[in-house]
Amino acid sequence: MAGQSNTDGRLTRAFDNDWIGPGIVSLVAVIGISLFQPAFLSSFNIFVLLSAISVNMVIALGQLVIIGLGQMNLALGSIGGLVAISFVGMLEKLGVPLPLALAIALGIGVVAGMAGGYIIARTMISAFIITLAGLQIFKGINLGITRAQPFYGVPDLVKAFGNASVLGPLPWLMVPMVICSLGMWYLFNRMRIGRHILAMGCNPHAAELSGIDPKATMIWAHGLSGLLAAVAGVMLVAKLQIGQPTIGDDWLISSFAAPVIGGAVLSGGRVSVGGTFFGVVIIAIITQALVMFNIDPFAVQIVLGALILWAVAINRLREVRIAKLQARGATA
Amino acid sequence: MTALQVSHVSKSFPGVKALNDVSMTMTPGSVHALLGENGAGKSTLIKIVTGIYQSDSGSVLMDGAPVRFANLRQAAAGGLGVVHQERNLVTRFSVGENIMLDRLGASALSIVDYTAIHREAEKWLKLLDLEVDPRTLVSRLSVAQMQLVEIGKALSLQSKVLLLDEPTASLTPNESTVLFRILRRLRDDGVAIGFVSHKLEEVFDICDRVTVLRDGINACDSADLSNLNRADVVQMMIGRAERITKRAPRPKPDTTPYLELHGYASGLGHRDISLTVRPGEIVGLYGLVGAGRSELARAILGLSRQLGGVVKVAGTPVHITTVADALHRHGIGYVSEDRKQEGLILLHSVLANSGITIWRKLANRLGFLRDATINAEVGPVLQRLELKTPSVYQTVGNLSGGNQQKVSVAKWLAAGVKLLIIDEPSVGIDIKTKAYLHDLIHELAGQGTAVLLITSDMPEMVDVADRILVMDGYRIKGEVENDRNYDAVSRAIMGFIHDKAA
Repeated sequence: MAGQSNTDGRLTRAFDNDWIGPGIVSLVAVIGISLFQPAFLSSFNIFVLLSAISVNMVIALGQLVIIGLGQMNLALGSIGGLVAISFVGMLEKLGVPLPLALAIALGIGVVAGMAGGYIIARTMISAFIITLAGLQIFKGINLGITRAQPFYGVPDLVKAFGNASVLGPLPWLMVPMVICSLGMWYLFNRMRIGRHILAMGCNPHAAELSGIDPKATMIWAHGLSGLLAAVAGVMLVAKLQIGQPTIGDDWLISSFAAPVIGGAVLSGGRVSVGGTFFGVVIIAIITQALVMFNIDPFAVQIVLGALILWAVAINRLREVRIAKLQARGATA
Repeated sequence: MTALQVSHVSKSFPGVKALNDVSMTMTPGSVHALLGENGAGKSTLIKIVTGIYQSDSGSVLMDGAPVRFANLRQAAAGGLGVVHQERNLVTRFSVGENIMLDRLGASALSIVDYTAIHREAEKWLKLLDLEVDPRTLVSRLSVAQMQLVEIGKALSLQSKVLLLDEPTASLTPNESTVLFRILRRLRDDGVAIGFVSHKLEEVFDICDRVTVLRDGINACDSADLSNLNRADVVQMMIGRAERITKRAPRPKPDTTPYLELHGYASGLGHRDISLTVRPGEIVGLYGLVGAGRSELARAILGLSRQLGGVVKVAGTPVHITTVADALHRHGIGYVSEDRKQEGLILLHSVLANSGITIWRKLANRLGFLRDATINAEVGPVLQRLELKTPSVYQTVGNLSGGNQQKVSVAKWLAAGVKLLIIDEPSVGIDIKTKAYLHDLIHELAGQGTAVLLITSDMPEMVDVADRILVMDGYRIKGEVENDRNYDAVSRAIMGFIHDKAA
């Protein structure tokens, strides 16, 4: 009848933290690669790496919210892409002032996400289908506006933001990433909406019986996901210095891979912002290292796939162990 | 003064009248037992009270005022706390956060004040004598502790009426004692407690009033339990033998048993089970809910590990480890009591459902299946069962309960099973179809199929079975030769079950 809290040492409990595993892997990878390639730790390389990590982290956070809810958002990339070209389009074609264009662009992301969330909540059709439809619709609007041609009118201030450093090898792009990460950590751990999202992901029935409004929670989560996609879209515009209609096309796989490597359970209720960060770091390091060592770029995809399998296996092992502990607790 | 009053409530589902003019009155400071066998209407009644179903007629009153909740959330807000049979906690959250889950903050973006939440939760834990830190994760609690947390959660919503659906089903006797002590105190504080249980000892231990349902009507309405004894209550639950049709005694088969268990023990908790079923014989397995009968069927089918004893099929010792093995190698079929969840694929056609067991056999060398091939096998079986359906392409979900049951029997007949385990065949089925099903079971046995019949419907058991094994607490308590003398047989059966209570 006694809880297991006494039987677990502090050390084992620390290892239960989702970010420890990927954190150690990241550290070992950095040390290992820099032993073979000292250029890996050059100031320039770190800058490039951190820029990529910053954008990918915000993308991953956008997916993490929905994973926490126990759903998936396939439209993440196409929302980000639509926001990116709308942002540059407003600046170039309509002459909208920068702050206003930024606000409207982020607003488009929120509205696009919430629209999907609203339809899912109202119809209770699986998020997979609804966001798949959203993916097509937003991408279609994107191509309709741009005719598949990039917008070039990105202001110098925005270009500078995407390519200048705050301090030494630390890019300005890290600033929105750090803000979003801390914000999401706080949301998941300390804010009502974050707790409700996780409660729904963990046990939707219990959440509803406890008086949580499932519809409102879903709309919130998808709106938040849209906002993060929008932030990532704008960051990419700044980084690429151009409003590419293809922005967002390649977000999907890594947006799932990073949270899963970071210990998130796809059925919902369990997410780790720290773990997701190291998931993003691992993916970025592997991608870059393989290029540095002149390995076939296609191998990157295979390695990434293997990494996802590994992460899922670790998660599964952990779940089985917890289930066993509980079974023992129940019969004792 | 009444806390919750159910007044002349009726509810029909297609083909069944689930509740017919049912009443119940719960008063503050009283523990009220709601009893009845499977299909008697208990769960329908609870669902109507809590707003999951809406009644066709009659009313529900709380504190004398009529209420009509649209869903469980409204019911909770109206002061009706329900602790369901399955656990409804967010296991990755702390105890305190679970209790306060709907009161984490005023708006979505509110910051959660964990100090305040855990302080508030602690109050309710103290009230329940639960010495658990509210910061503990629910996943680290025992089942009994989780149960108490749910009660605390219901109470924290200022519930004046607390409904507990089989709260002791997963508790040890010690844990139940603790729970009862707390329930008594809540009762003395003026809470009206509704208590659903299949364990009569518990009912007599803690309850003071009782409502018994049988076949959707009141066998008694809020009677004073102190004027009743156990035999009275059992009598009300299982009813009289009014609709027993006397069947001619069937010849006793004298062949090798098709299925034999000797000292069988399963991973589900069965110990020392010995039974035999011969071809052409109908063996009944009687017991109250929770006796381990359906679980035994599952274990035989290979869904649980065999821990001891011998299993013989047609005289040969075997070891069944998968359901596919049970069906294809040993010819054992199982008609599940939960036909909607386990027995049928409701969205598929009659043809697909009844043919599913023989797809493997009928597929041609390339693995292709033709509807005509399946129809040729299944058609005669469906005809024999007199299935009423516009066509074999009809979706099973659109058929009546009785016809659905025929389809779930048909798929095993099509597979040509030698032993059919039939679990609660007449749950949710009207009386006419029930009689027809009984004839059908007899006919099957007449053609040489061995039948193991599981039912908690005593008249059904006495009507259909040749021999009745009485099960309780995952053991076989005794065997009764069925001479279809209802009074004598039911007395003998209840005798074996009472045995334990003493």
